[in-house]
Amino acid sequence: MSRLLRPAAAIAAKDLRLFFRDRVGLLLAFLMPAALVLAFGFMMQKAFGGEDGGMARAELWVVDQDGSAASRAFVDDLRGLAMLEVRPAPDDAPLSLEGAEASLRKGRAHHVLVLPRGFGDALAAGELPELRMLRDPGRSLEDTLVTIGLSSAYMGATQGRAWPAMLGRLLEQSGASPEAVRSAVAAAEQTRRLMEAALGRNDGKDAETGRAPEGDGGDDGQDGGSGLDFTAFMRDMVPLEVEDRLPPERAANLSHIVAQSVSGLVVMMLMFGLVRCATTLLRERDSGTLDRLLAAASPRDAVLLGKFLFTAASGLLQLAVLFTFAELVFHVGMFRDPVTLLVLSLSLTAAVTAFGMLIATWARSLEQANGFATLLILVMSAVGGAWFPVQLFDMPLPAEVAMRLTLTHWAMTGYQGMLWNGLGWTSPTLLTSIGVLWAFAVGASLLARRLFHRRVLPA
Amino acid sequence: MLEVCDLSYAYGDHVAVDGMSFTLRRGEALGLLGPNGAGKTTTFSCLAGLRRPRSGELRLEGRTFLPFACDTDRAVLGLVPQEVSLYADLTARENLAFFGRIQGVAPEELDDRIAAALTLAGLEDRADHRIATFSGGMKRRLNLAVATLHQPPILLLDEPTVGVDPHSRHHLFAALERLRDGGASLLYSTHAMEDAQRLCDRIVVLDHGRVLAVGTHEELAAGVGEPGADLETVFLHLTGRSLRDS
Ligand SMILES: Nc1ncnc2c1ncn2[C@@H]1O[C@H](COP(=O)(O)OP(=O)(O)O)[C@@H](O)[C@H]1O
Ligand SMILES: [Mg+2]
Repeated sequence: MSRLLRPAAAIAAKDLRLFFRDRVGLLLAFLMPAALVLAFGFMMQKAFGGEDGGMARAELWVVDQDGSAASRAFVDDLRGLAMLEVRPAPDDAPLSLEGAEASLRKGRAHHVLVLPRGFGDALAAGELPELRMLRDPGRSLEDTLVTIGLSSAYMGATQGRAWPAMLGRLLEQSGASPEAVRSAVAAAEQTRRLMEAALGRNDGKDAETGRAPEGDGGDDGQDGGSGLDFTAFMRDMVPLEVEDRLPPERAANLSHIVAQSVSGLVVMMLMFGLVRCATTLLRERDSGTLDRLLAAASPRDAVLLGKFLFTAASGLLQLAVLFTFAELVFHVGMFRDPVTLLVLSLSLTAAVTAFGMLIATWARSLEQANGFATLLILVMSAVGGAWFPVQLFDMPLPAEVAMRLTLTHWAMTGYQGMLWNGLGWTSPTLLTSIGVLWAFAVGASLLARRLFHRRVLPA
Repeated sequence: MLEVCDLSYAYGDHVAVDGMSFTLRRGEALGLLGPNGAGKTTTFSCLAGLRRPRSGELRLEGRTFLPFACDTDRAVLGLVPQEVSLYADLTARENLAFFGRIQGVAPEELDDRIAAALTLAGLEDRADHRIATFSGGMKRRLNLAVATLHQPPILLLDEPTVGVDPHSRHHLFAALERLRDGGASLLYSTHAMEDAQRLCDRIVVLDHGRVLAVGTHEELAAGVGEPGADLETVFLHLTGRSLRDS
């Protein structure tokens, strides 16, 4: 055994020494990924994370044509919502409709809310004032957030008068018969009046003349209440004390999307880094030093084992550096469960090392190895969810299968489980990930050994 | 000591070594003289266990020698590849230490062997400089020294003096003579007849993967009927071509 291990260890030690001497390599292994993680993390945080993390935020531009105390109060309500980033800021100059439309055209704004003249008067008269929404139809994620935010603010401003009408729309959308809708709305209206009377609140007006604000529906208009979120609806109507419960294992300010992009990028960069390490095998062949190693009296497998050890060692190093970096910058709670982190990282390193060795032993040349590896890594990262949370969407079966075929997916499931759900390595989810990673590691290593004897060793 | 009997090797359909036979005697410097493409490097690859001969037999001290199949058989060989095969980003000492370990030098002997190799290469004062900063001649000297770390009884030298400046050339020949005087057997390939003439006790003349003649310089010259002729003339007689042209 030591006839195999001694030379293998010597090769690994030599390669690590070379690794640290290679400035460009170090840059690629540590600095570049760190910069990418930083850029992506901040981008995602800015796009979806919000300062308090966790909650996604959408930008809503408001054109206040009414300029009344009531409309200003309504805008302030909107500002108070966590899911909305209202523009212009309180101290900035108010926005004109033309200005807003221009911003929309340039793609700087994606949702513009117009409070028309008469908004305040309508409210004071106990009516349901109409609103206009100009939107960029490509921003569906933001659309949901804006809709939820707007509904709840509207509900607040109308002191609940809007809810029977909104309930009607909700029922209509979910396919209830006009008959049923009408009676439900009537019942809701009845309840509302009773509640108002009980609470001693009486505006003396009949709401029957009012209609839901969602009626206008022009070409560039958008229904403020379409796609109404029932939970948000209830939250506002029912005196519900909403309390957020955070898994104690999760970092308080962790944003889902940041955790996702950090672990996804780390996995991707690890793949690039380790392919670079594993393909030193091909470099040695090109530079002739491989002949020297193979002409020595040690077993040929020592060369392969040496490359494995070196690649795995630098992989663990790369993970340690990147995770520490991610923790320092984003406070993702990386080291809350060190054992799980270690088990996951060892499994990932083993799998990615085997992947790198597979590439290195399969390729006929360094160019072929790099080209093929780059393609494979980018595809796996995209399909496996390293760039975007694909698992959040309903996917057609083939896409689902493709996703589950990537190393990226299993690695990310593991890290997300640990970071987001606070799972330990013995939980079924993580054990599955770990099992898949090790199965790949063993299978790919055996295949790499076969390829090494068939394709790398001259005959 | 090392017998090569009817050795053949082909790259696909291209026969590079075609039924080659010769014997390397203990303590001698045997030259393989042939133009580029004659099959010298391929022969060395077969001897060093890097390629499996298609046919033929190798014998060491009378018993079958299987450098390709049997790891331990390779221990008697020191291979000096035709190209400089070193880690450019490691120092001379680091290269020597690494290859010493790979070639099975015991850890307690490693320092002495490295020192001896540095002396052989004349690089004592550059031991801790990276190879990338070395001249071509210095690299060649170290390329040779690396193969001697495990003190192999047989050295396979593939054109070790090609393209080397006069100073390093002189140094390399002195080192090779020292190794031979120390008892090592040298198999030395070259396409330059002056080099073969300068170092080798006997010479194997090769062309197209075949052995054309074997003998001392005098024997070869006598063999072609021109006693006193140089190797260039011998080669011209044997092939009808000039060694330099091919
Ligand atoms: N890896 C290879 N693949 C295919 N043909 C080769 C390879 N290496 C050498 N050859 C061919 O084999 C013949 C012998 O080459 P080689 O042994 O390198 O000769 P020498 O070392 O005497 O110059 C040449 O015709 C050469 O083109
Ligand atoms: Mg050659």
